[in-house]
Amino acid sequence: MLLSVENLEVKYGNIQALHGISFDVREGEIVTLIGANGAGKTTSLYSIARLAPPEAPKVVGGDIRFMGESILDTAPSDVVKNLKLALVPEGRHIFGNLTVMENLELATYSRDKDADLDKDYQRIFDLFPRLAERRKQRSESLSGGEQQMLAVGRALMTGCRALMLDEPSMGLAPVLKYELFRTLKKLNKEGMTLLLVEQNAKLALDIAHRGYVLDTGTIAASGTSEELAGNPEVRKAYLGG
Amino acid sequence: MLASILQNVINALQWGSFYALIALGYTLVYGVLTLINFAHGDIFMVGAYIAFFVASFALTTLGLPGWAALALTIPATMVLTSLVGVTLERIAYRPLRRKGAHRLYVVITALMAGLILENGNLAILGASRKAFPPLIHETVYTIGGVSFTNLKIAVIISAFLVFAFLHWVVTRTRVGMAMRAISYDKFAVPLMGIPMDNIIVVTFVLGSAFAGLAGILFAMSYPVLEPYMGALIGWKAFIAAVVGGIGDIRGAFIGGFLLGAVEIMVVAFFPSTFRDLIGFTVLLVILTFKPTGLFGVAKTTKI
Repeated sequence: MLLSVENLEVKYGNIQALHGISFDVREGEIVTLIGANGAGKTTSLYSIARLAPPEAPKVVGGDIRFMGESILDTAPSDVVKNLKLALVPEGRHIFGNLTVMENLELATYSRDKDADLDKDYQRIFDLFPRLAERRKQRSESLSGGEQQMLAVGRALMTGCRALMLDEPSMGLAPVLKYELFRTLKKLNKEGMTLLLVEQNAKLALDIAHRGYVLDTGTIAASGTSEELAGNPEVRKAYLGG
Repeated sequence: MLASILQNVINALQWGSFYALIALGYTLVYGVLTLINFAHGDIFMVGAYIAFFVASFALTTLGLPGWAALALTIPATMVLTSLVGVTLERIAYRPLRRKGAHRLYVVITALMAGLILENGNLAILGASRKAFPPLIHETVYTIGGVSFTNLKIAVIISAFLVFAFLHWVVTRTRVGMAMRAISYDKFAVPLMGIPMDNIIVVTFVLGSAFAGLAGILFAMSYPVLEPYMGALIGWKAFIAAVVGGIGDIRGAFIGGFLLGAVEIMVVAFFPSTFRDLIGFTVLLVILTFKPTGLFGVAKTTKI
């Protein structure tokens, strides 16, 4: 098991956001967490990324294990550096005052100085040719879709083996959404493990192997994508009938 | 007339160099932590005192000649002053950051830390002023009615070299890139595998080391040290950084020289007691028209 979340309970101040949820991700899988706003999807990702307060919640119960080891005491930068688990946050959070290339370069901060970075840059530019065209541009001048590509490309440049994505389709035009999800599928085929949080459940279940439905901080349903897509309650609540 | 203008320009550059060197430290820390480190002026004072002790030790105990004492004093003071800055960050600011304290409390902590440095100095070393020992022989050169000393020129060159160095760090190195990234979006920095605390420590090292350098140069230029020497110059350097556009090192540099120039010009035409009144009024007017400072831009984020 690459990642397992066990009976995780977290709080923001006095407000409990997760009430003992469990889920796991195996190497090479695409797993999706779906659910309404406020269900605890982002909270789950922030907890795994070990982000510090005030953004992130405090774990009050349960455990998060990466390859069997608890990571509750791991610093957020070490989750990226040592566990090679990267997060593409909701809202992209690209560094708008840096160029596209600088954003990508910054993501290599914790990697070995002699790592073969050129190959990795080339891989990003193959996946997202638009970024190659705009590599010298200040990234705040990119369109929303290009910013999302940069956010994904930047996360990949950390040298991660597993990628968490928080609402990657948000704010994208339909054609860009499909393009992005095709790219994610392709990444997965090349061996990248994905943990995908999406409000657009249909899009997520289309590419995911398995999924979990979150509802107000608990797991309401789980199963393979086909099972979830065929589940009448899931269909009614998240897939528009 | 021309000679008098040139003379004032040289004086303004020298005087502005101190503001610029200190303002750079304010702006670096602000850029990374959005914290106005009000203790920074007192770090400058501590730097001057460290320089005093190192220089006295080198001259009397080691019996070194002046130039060798200076060669020892500069690196030793910069290292020791940066240690003071890093210690301040570690014991005063980091615990608050860990608890997610509101910025207001951190600023108040900074003010308190500054007062502790001033009064700690007063308690330990007493109220008597210290005379900084002469390290180099000051030579006065006069060219076409304009006179300047080797020390004045050294002060100005130092300020420019420090700016060039910091500009290189911020624009060309990975740490500098991380500093710029933090100033734009703190949240995403750890997600890049960058330990925030390391970048913050580097920021305090740079800011404090150059405040220490300013302390040495100031003590050599005006060789009387007292515990409150950093208070007013610190406030002024902070204002210089704000006028330049706090968070931008070009702004701090230009702002420092601007303030130096305004003060020198005021003294050239008015009684010197008008200096701060007119100086601050000019800065107030600049901020009225450009509240984000000369190099500051209102931040916008794209969703």
